[in-house]
Amino acid sequence: MMNQTGNQSQQQSGPVAEPLGSQSPAQEVVRYKIRHQTRYQYSENVAVCQNQVRMQPVSRPPCHCLSSDLTITPTPSSQEEHRDYFGNQVTTFSIESLHDSLFVECVSLVQVRASGISVQTRSPRFEEVIGLTDLRSNAIPATDTGFQPLIDEYKNPSRRVRLSDDFAGYARQEFSGGRPILLAALGLTQRIQNDFSYDTTTTDVNTPTEQAFQMRSGVCQDFAHVQLACLRSLGLPARYISGYLRTVPPPGKPRLIGADESHAWVELYAGRELGWVGLDPTNGTFVGTDHIPVCIGLDYEDVSPMRGVVLGGGTHHLSVSVDVEPVPAGQ
Amino acid sequence: MTTKLSQPSSIWADPSLATAPEQPLKSVGAYSERTTPAGQVRPHWQWLSQQLDQLGPDELSRRSAAIADIIRENGVTFRSAATNDSAAEINRPWQLSVIPFVIPIQQWDPIAAGLQQRARLLQRILADLHGPQRLIREGVIPGELLWRNPYYYRAFQGLAGAQPQLHLSAVDLARGADGNWYATGDRTRAPSGLGYLLENRVVTGRVMSGLIRRSNTVRLASFFDRFKSHLRSLASQSDNPWIGIMTPPRGSYRGFEDTYLARYLGLPLVQSEDLAVRGGSLYLKTLGGLQSIDVLWRHVSDRLCDPLELAGDSNQGVTGLLRCLRRGSVAVANAVGSSLAQCPGMMAYLDAASEFFDGNPLQLKSQQTLWCGDPNDFQQVLADPHQWVFRNAFRVSSDLPVCLQDLDAAQAENFLGQLRKHPQSYIAQRVASFSLTPVWSDNRIKQRAMVLRSFQLHEKDSINVLPGALARVGENTLELTTSPVSGHLTLDCWVTNDQPVGTHQSLLHDSKTPVQIRRVGDELPSRVAEHLFWLGRYAERSESIARVMRTTMDLIAGEDDWVNLPAVPRLIRQLAVQGQIEPGFAVDSLAATLPDIEQMLPASLLDRDQALGLVRSMGAVIGNTIAVRDRLSSEAFRIAQRAYRDLTHSPSAHPTGSVPKIQISEAIERVERLIVDLLALAGLTSESLVRSHVWQFVELGRRIERADQTSELLRQTLVPATDQGKSICEAVLRVTDSLMTYRARYLNLMRLAPVIDLLVTDPTNPRSLCFQLQQTLKVIDLLPTRQAAGTDDLLRSLAENLLQQVADADPMQLAEVAEDGTLNHLDALLEICSRELPKLSEALVARYLIHTSPRQLLTGSQR
Repeated sequence: MMNQTGNQSQQQSGPVAEPLGSQSPAQEVVRYKIRHQTRYQYSENVAVCQNQVRMQPVSRPPCHCLSSDLTITPTPSSQEEHRDYFGNQVTTFSIESLHDSLFVECVSLVQVRASGISVQTRSPRFEEVIGLTDLRSNAIPATDTGFQPLIDEYKNPSRRVRLSDDFAGYARQEFSGGRPILLAALGLTQRIQNDFSYDTTTTDVNTPTEQAFQMRSGVCQDFAHVQLACLRSLGLPARYISGYLRTVPPPGKPRLIGADESHAWVELYAGRELGWVGLDPTNGTFVGTDHIPVCIGLDYEDVSPMRGVVLGGGTHHLSVSVDVEPVPAGQ
Repeated sequence: MTTKLSQPSSIWADPSLATAPEQPLKSVGAYSERTTPAGQVRPHWQWLSQQLDQLGPDELSRRSAAIADIIRENGVTFRSAATNDSAAEINRPWQLSVIPFVIPIQQWDPIAAGLQQRARLLQRILADLHGPQRLIREGVIPGELLWRNPYYYRAFQGLAGAQPQLHLSAVDLARGADGNWYATGDRTRAPSGLGYLLENRVVTGRVMSGLIRRSNTVRLASFFDRFKSHLRSLASQSDNPWIGIMTPPRGSYRGFEDTYLARYLGLPLVQSEDLAVRGGSLYLKTLGGLQSIDVLWRHVSDRLCDPLELAGDSNQGVTGLLRCLRRGSVAVANAVGSSLAQCPGMMAYLDAASEFFDGNPLQLKSQQTLWCGDPNDFQQVLADPHQWVFRNAFRVSSDLPVCLQDLDAAQAENFLGQLRKHPQSYIAQRVASFSLTPVWSDNRIKQRAMVLRSFQLHEKDSINVLPGALARVGENTLELTTSPVSGHLTLDCWVTNDQPVGTHQSLLHDSKTPVQIRRVGDELPSRVAEHLFWLGRYAERSESIARVMRTTMDLIAGEDDWVNLPAVPRLIRQLAVQGQIEPGFAVDSLAATLPDIEQMLPASLLDRDQALGLVRSMGAVIGNTIAVRDRLSSEAFRIAQRAYRDLTHSPSAHPTGSVPKIQISEAIERVERLIVDLLALAGLTSESLVRSHVWQFVELGRRIERADQTSELLRQTLVPATDQGKSICEAVLRVTDSLMTYRARYLNLMRLAPVIDLLVTDPTNPRSLCFQLQQTLKVIDLLPTRQAAGTDDLLRSLAENLLQQVADADPMQLAEVAEDGTLNHLDALLEICSRELPKLSEALVARYLIHTSPRQLLTGSQR
């Protein structure tokens, strides 16, 4: 039996985007075609595998999903879909005949709307947001699952994000003295980007957040966990977002197909008016139309793109390829 | 002789009983169940008090001892599985008081009504928390109680759909000083204690049969009957649904209880490795293939139910179970996620939830509880923390609550620091008060604090409260508020009626459902078949060793100087080959350097170090009987337990710490007793088991092992050259229990050929090689055939060929002595047996048992 905790996000985010807005002209809406391929190659036959996939975007601000197709090879013996607690689209499937490889391809067409958030945006003092008391009674309008977690829920520790004075202390370097929440949050986001080195070798998919924090090193998943721990330790609601990042080729070079990667960042609740605001600690920016969100959760555990249990299989080799292609609207 | 009931001789005369409990319980001023504060016996206790008095102290003590015996014999223990042989000895039976707890139905009915209301509330709370969470949205229950609960998984959301999540729940009840009952805890996952309650009633019914019959005690059987019907009603298809009890793997505290309930309810026990999800449905892996499962009564923790969506390291669950639940292809009772309602912190909000749903508060109050995660309530607690006891807010555990008075200053400060740092993790409760009830202990009446575990069945339209309870008593009242493991002494609880109650209703007779005659039992899980096979092998192996031991020790202890007996060294070699003693004894040149055989042989009886020796072999018998005890008769289980105990108990006089020494005479006695017990066990399997797959696998194990042992014995004893064949032959016939048969046929004429015929080629001697192989082939032909034809040929052809070779052998030729003095023809045949028998065993395992072999655990590429 083997747990494929789907370490896609481990290989993410090598390329670091230019600060938002510096290259791409501020577009209101951007349309993308995303191709996400995952291949497991096993050294021995797998008798049975059971998997859960969370790769298909759903329509919720700022994202509108026009289409999404999941192809699984070999063809599953059975397969079904449901929406999870957070409203994410989940496909569960099993393959019950001998196989030595598993290929999952997800092709989606999505449209991302700009948030309009920038350093100029006026925002409430962060203490006000901490002090909001109506976050448990007023949910955002229910989705088609008829259920939406309360904002207050995202203030709490989760399996991968524990709260501590250390995290709070680190965050207070930015969150102090009645600072507007957006500025403080961007400050923390940039602080993490500056203080932490992006290094795919220092952590793995199971590294505790505290360890990444201590080493000041890791990948996007670690940075997101660290920032969530900081924000929640202050008493602010913050959630984990998995998705994709459009990368921009160096000037004069063509776009490399399949070189993009899946990505992770956070969203902070910035008060009733602004709602959830995306922050990317890997790139030290607000989230804009280069970011394509797919799943929401308390931490990585809730959104791992692919998780599975296999019987047999020997050792496995995992390869992931992501291609984020901007397409003109109307296509 | 007449016993006049006079005050001084009454068992109730102890002055300490009249007023206060005999020791400073925390429940000073506690309610006395039997007497009023003025010392009057309460009306419903009068009849029983008199009856007990008439029995008198000696009789009560005698019956107490009888109860203890029955419970021990039944292997009724909280610690269940012997994962290694020594564990069989640590099994600690729990106790049952000879005096029951009595409550008249007029008092019970209002309690039952309160329990019904409470059970309905717990049901609604679960439906809400795993659904729309209105309780949180509308501020009735703080969300943090859910969100900070480490045992809560968001995957529980919506799993049960619109179906009820609770089917069997339990509430622990205590009676306060004011005489009112209140709840000290709820159990909504898989409440334990039902099996013990049932066993208590069965044992009490036996030991106090006259009393309970005349007491008009309400029967329990119909509750269990309805419970079983209820489980059946959960199946999505009504035609003969397949229902199982899902129990954690061996070693769990549930072991005994689940086995007991499985046998009583007639439901099979299943474990993780018996189960598989295919095509979105749940199946049992059986000898004949996959058997679809409709309903599971689940005794595995919520978070361990499915490694795909819950805790990934679980070895207790089934990958894909949640998927089946979402599809509705299987019903699980109680629903996965139901433990949320039993989290201790929830007790602080039950009244509010009841008001919210019903507009009414709970009739049956909870022990006063505050959740320290609520800032206002926490301030109240901190104002005077010594007024409270503290326990984990999220987890029901057997840990005693923290009581500041019991801590020294530094410990108290340390605890308060923890509390201030993580208030959400704790609840604070008022020290509970418990009523006192009489028990019989050390030849007299004692008063003990008591708590009742009550059970509720959630039927479609109503809550059915079990008319009785598991009563637990203790000296430490704090212990009573934790899980039942802590209750050493229990009582049967009699809910008594004014009127005679209906006749006894046994679960075997279900008048409503027509029964079809079936000649085949339900499908046997491969895991169970595997244990049965090894049970047969180890039982036979133990008997073989015991038989060689007995004959060898008889010879050594006999009148002749054993050094001159040619059989002894050969039997010693056989024991070394069997693994009972150091292998060095099989090598002539080494034997001289080894310890004195007269000391060593008896000592080997208690030797746990020889991996293949008698103690370990019997340990394996115990381990395998425990693993399949829902499939064996309770007598078989008892015999195995007793055999092990009698073999291994420490010799009477040996200083602790020293290596146990054992006299040869005692060793012989122990071995003889063991042989008798093992024969009884063998008799039970051959006489009491129907010729189902259960019997087939025990039988195959036994026959293959006996063939192997016999073949090895003959190689070690008869084959080597000797000029004293007669005495060797006689010893071998003794070991193989064939001496009488031989003498009946040949009188005192001891010759090799007839001996070899009797032990090898004679198909009528149940000890001969030929007999074992014939029987093996017969049973193989009875085994279920797997779908794929052709694959079964290997197993059958191995057995057939081997039988052919043995049956065709000519005993005269086998007895021919070669030039070097050895029996080379016999040796050649036995060598074939030694080579082919393991292959036969392997083929059997591969064909029928392989898919229960240990799974390879890979952790992926992350490490």
